[in-house]
Amino acid sequence: MDFVRSPEPVATTTAPAKPPIPVKIVVAGGFGVGKTTAVGAISEIHPLTTEAEMTEAAVGLDVPGATTEKTTTTVAMDFGCVTIDQSLKLYLFGAPGQTRFGFMWDGLAKGALGALVVVDSSRLDDCFAAVDYFERANLPFAVGVNTFDGRLAHGLDEVRWALAVRDTVPVFAFDARQRLSVRDAILVVLNLALDRATRGR
Amino acid sequence: MTQPPHPDGFRIRPFLTGQTAAPQPEPVEDSPSGLRPFVLTAGRVAGVDPDIDLETQVTARPTEARRSARVPVGGLTPEQRAIIDLCAEPLSVAEISAKLRLHLGVTKILVGDLRAAGQVDVHTMDVKTSHDPETILRVINGLRAFT
Repeated sequence: MDFVRSPEPVATTTAPAKPPIPVKIVVAGGFGVGKTTAVGAISEIHPLTTEAEMTEAAVGLDVPGATTEKTTTTVAMDFGCVTIDQSLKLYLFGAPGQTRFGFMWDGLAKGALGALVVVDSSRLDDCFAAVDYFERANLPFAVGVNTFDGRLAHGLDEVRWALAVRDTVPVFAFDARQRLSVRDAILVVLNLALDRATRGR
Repeated sequence: MTQPPHPDGFRIRPFLTGQTAAPQPEPVEDSPSGLRPFVLTAGRVAGVDPDIDLETQVTARPTEARRSARVPVGGLTPEQRAIIDLCAEPLSVAEISAKLRLHLGVTKILVGDLRAAGQVDVHTMDVKTSHDPETILRVINGLRAFT
């Protein structure tokens, strides 16, 4: 009987390139608010995600907004990345929205610069868990209200009032499908992080 | 899989053509091998290397260094070899997990094993580095340059 050696893993006679510094931002929010869309709009890689068909079991528990044809939901997490330069890479992690995935948030938030809470203004209660979490974790966060097709069910002031977030927390509207709009939303979070970092010095 | 209708109006039985028209079971995509997570980690669920986070960068060690590693390549599982293959270029734990369709928890344990075996380098990053104002400014400027 002959045996064939398994091929050696390819690659690397020389040391691999120096790894980039990873910078992490969490994108959180309730079910179906557009987290995966937002990550996908800005990521240079197709967002790597674990979506699963919404089963009948989820109907009634995971209720997408009134006008949606959403049939999949992120069951683990999805993420994308943006290479800033050779030595710096921005990672965006979409946190699963459902409260039952709360146990994953510690791992996601650890070491993160800040968080973007994505909100559907017609279903505000979906984001309470995320807002609560980041307040308690003392992580800088901003609230981005996703304008589904340019529609906002409630004004930004009403959203701010309903969420009862501190005045220092930015609340703004953005379009999760537009790359530049998502970029601006991420910039808001980064500016909060920068503020904190410079004050901490 | 649908077949073109037979010109004479009858359909050749699927088993005669060697094709199965019956719905195929969905391929198990949990992992390259389709094994359950606890098999891949030999039953371990805890004991993850605390240095290993989602965004932690992993690189395979040079071939020469790996030859003399504590655990030789021959002693590795297919999943672990796949990780080494992927990490010729620096890659984050999250990307490894997604590309190999391994559970995140499983990936962390396997990467930890490979590190202990001397097959990969895990690049731990001081939080101070990524939270340094200068680093953040570089990210901001990089994003602003987007068009």
